Amino acid sequence: MIKVKYLNKPNTFAGTWIPFGIGLGFLFIVLEIFSLVLDNYILHIITVIGIYIIAATSLNLTNGYTGLFSLGHTGFMAIGAYTSVLLTYKVSLRAAYNLPSLPTLLGGANYQWPFLPALLMGGVIAAIMAIIIGYPVLRLKGHYLAVASLGFMIIVTTVAKGMKSFTRGASGIQVIPHYSNLWNVYICVAITVFVLWRILQSAPGRAMLAIRESEVSAQSQGINLMKYKLYAFVGGAFFAGIAGGLYAHFTRSIRPYEFSFSMTFFIVIMPIIGGSRNLFGPALGASLLIAMRYLLKPAEEALGVYGLVELIYAALLVSVMIWRPGGILGKEFRVK
Amino acid sequence: MLLKIEKIEICYGIIPAVRNLSLEVEEGQIVALVGANGAGKSTTLKALAGVLHPRVGKIFYNDKDITDLSAYRRVPLGIALVPEGRQLFSTLSVKENLRLGAYHSNDKEFKERLKEIYSIFPIIKERENQIAGTLSGGEQQMLSFGRAIISKPKLLLLDEPSLGLAPLIIKEVYKTINTIKMTGITIVLVEQNVKTAMHIANYMYVLEAGELTIQGEPLKLMKDENIKKAYLG
Amino acid sequence: MHGASYIYQQIFNGIVLGSIYALLALGMALIYGILGLINFAHGALITIGAFCFYFLLFKFNLPFVLAIILTISLGGFVGFILEAIGYRKLRGGPGLSLLITSLGIYIFIENAIKLLISPQPFAFFNPPFLDRMIDGFITFRVIDIFIIVTTIVIMICFGLFVKWNKIGMAMRGIAESVETAGLVGINVNQVITWSFVVASAIAALTGFMWGAKYGQISYDMGFMPGVIAFVAVVIGGIGSIPGAVLGGFLIGLIQIFTVGFLPLGWSVYRDAIVFALLIIVLLIKPMGIMGRRESM
Repeated sequence: MIKVKYLNKPNTFAGTWIPFGIGLGFLFIVLEIFSLVLDNYILHIITVIGIYIIAATSLNLTNGYTGLFSLGHTGFMAIGAYTSVLLTYKVSLRAAYNLPSLPTLLGGANYQWPFLPALLMGGVIAAIMAIIIGYPVLRLKGHYLAVASLGFMIIVTTVAKGMKSFTRGASGIQVIPHYSNLWNVYICVAITVFVLWRILQSAPGRAMLAIRESEVSAQSQGINLMKYKLYAFVGGAFFAGIAGGLYAHFTRSIRPYEFSFSMTFFIVIMPIIGGSRNLFGPALGASLLIAMRYLLKPAEEALGVYGLVELIYAALLVSVMIWRPGGILGKEFRVK
Repeated sequence: MLLKIEKIEICYGIIPAVRNLSLEVEEGQIVALVGANGAGKSTTLKALAGVLHPRVGKIFYNDKDITDLSAYRRVPLGIALVPEGRQLFSTLSVKENLRLGAYHSNDKEFKERLKEIYSIFPIIKERENQIAGTLSGGEQQMLSFGRAIISKPKLLLLDEPSLGLAPLIIKEVYKTINTIKMTGITIVLVEQNVKTAMHIANYMYVLEAGELTIQGEPLKLMKDENIKKAYLG
Repeated sequence: MHGASYIYQQIFNGIVLGSIYALLALGMALIYGILGLINFAHGALITIGAFCFYFLLFKFNLPFVLAIILTISLGGFVGFILEAIGYRKLRGGPGLSLLITSLGIYIFIENAIKLLISPQPFAFFNPPFLDRMIDGFITFRVIDIFIIVTTIVIMICFGLFVKWNKIGMAMRGIAESVETAGLVGINVNQVITWSFVVASAIAALTGFMWGAKYGQISYDMGFMPGVIAFVAVVIGGIGSIPGAVLGGFLIGLIQIFTVGFLPLGWSVYRDAIVFALLIIVLLIKPMGIMGRRESM
């Protein structure tokens, strides 16, 4: 296959852009077919899958490829979501919904940002927060990093609940402009996957893999641990912010509690189940889990068995951890 | 025959550290395993202690097959190991280390055994409540001995007891080993220092690159020209 | 300005809440010391304990003491199962696998309870003698005294056990080196199992305490206390059980003070402040307040 031939020469112009071009073209064809053939409900689900693919793949940069187990990803998504929403919110509705107008620096009271700049801004603010929080938190090892990042997520959602004048507190924000659709979400998916692919081919990417294998060895090879951990963390956060923005503009309503532990768990297990050492593992995990959700949630309602879906997710996770730690796309390896 | 090893092979991963090793230890003897660094002496001892398990071959203790028996099960049978580098519980006190050495004894038995240990190692008694990590090298070695023999073993395994100790202390250590031997305990000793081992052992096995090369009584081996050149310089 | 009795009231309330956190932190620190594992599933035992007691007392009308004993036993039993089935297999492996698995186990149990019992919270009524209010300089209920006294008793027993009992010593030995412990004849698996059982039994008891104190139990009640327990362990000091207990009391006091002394709008931050504190402590003193050696 042509793709394979060029994938083997990753750092050449042809090796980079031809596979990307082919992949993109393929994606467009598939999306076009879908939008013609499938009904709106299914397209809706596919779009949601796309958003979570961005979230899960970016998380995998931090968790899977660099070995930093972060539980704070949804905190960055929330930051991206709220930033994008507050920038793009329709001027005429702001007063009615008790949302602040934009300060003059950001465009003034009569301005609402267009979608793309606002979305990017969400990612940027998330990335900045990642730099700030990264310094103290990334110095920690395994378990402590997990709890500290979880703490970060809790702090973010609590602040979102608390700063009522900006965020409408626990009630959240509704009537968000519906900017996300199948196409722009999947363009973002393509970009995310492409960027991550490029990172992994490059020197920073190799450094991250080295850090995952052994921090001590990586250090002795002269790798600046903090620099590359930050790289992975901030990179992951940026795309989490984008995913958050896309999420907000798709579901048209966000509340702080949506971004808390349930969603964290949901996103964290996607790369684990799909395969954390594979670029497409998180995407597979996302597709699988979301499809499962949409299939089974109605059953939950009908039978009154609330919690069934999460139960299955947890059982799936524990099974994977015990029997196939590499995930579906991972090579099967036995611990010990 | 207290201990019998039959053609064992011990591997670290896929690399064999000990190959086709057979040896015997009679009750009451001191048997020394000597050889250069990496020859497989410690590995063999660890297999006797149950820390490692041979891939091939058998180990018999009092005619009982203990090849696959876990380490913690060997202690009640009367096998005790003084590990390389002492391996004390450095955050626990001297007395607590001894208590764990006599894990299978109840509190009353422990009290009695403790008295016996203190009579052999008076220095330890002084430091009863001190944290083990703060003892000197020689004292730690004594404690390690004490912890091993407090379980009243029949077979004592010593892994490089002189490692990292000053010559004067080494003398003390070997005096102690002799005292222990006098009580009738069988000893298997791993030593890099062949001369020292020769003075105390009844029988010696020489290992090279994981295999047994020469064995015999020390006096006989001393007369062998090859050994003299290789090990006694 | 707040009067003296108000301040003492807050301190008292802080100690009560802190007691619950301290007990949880104790169990968490025990398991962490021995296995190097943050047991996220610890929080699930809180929920299990609460619901177990609820059903025993209110549906089966068992006497109070019997209900407590059965609750603790169930907690220990669940701990035993979790260790034997879930954690033992993964013991030698990478530390993160254990963490992720314990997370999965927590979610599993939480949703099992949601599914099998109810997604709605239950009102938890106390046996009347626990609810008796005592008014004086400060106001409290008998349940508060019960919590504090039980905590002190458990702490003392545990402290004595770990110091003087040979199994307690074995726990400390294993925490230092599993290999050495096996060498001297300690049945490491057995001691680890017992540690799990004890820690889980204590967690189940705190489930009852939490329900009794707050009057409400729900399928997700164990999450926050479970995570806070770990924060207590970290803040108090890695490798130090007294430190973990101290951490628990500290967090209890801080949470109550946040609600009691800061302006009303700040109470929603009571959990966030705990984590902010965690990050600050980790910045200044990465080993925690009473931490000794670097674990992991």
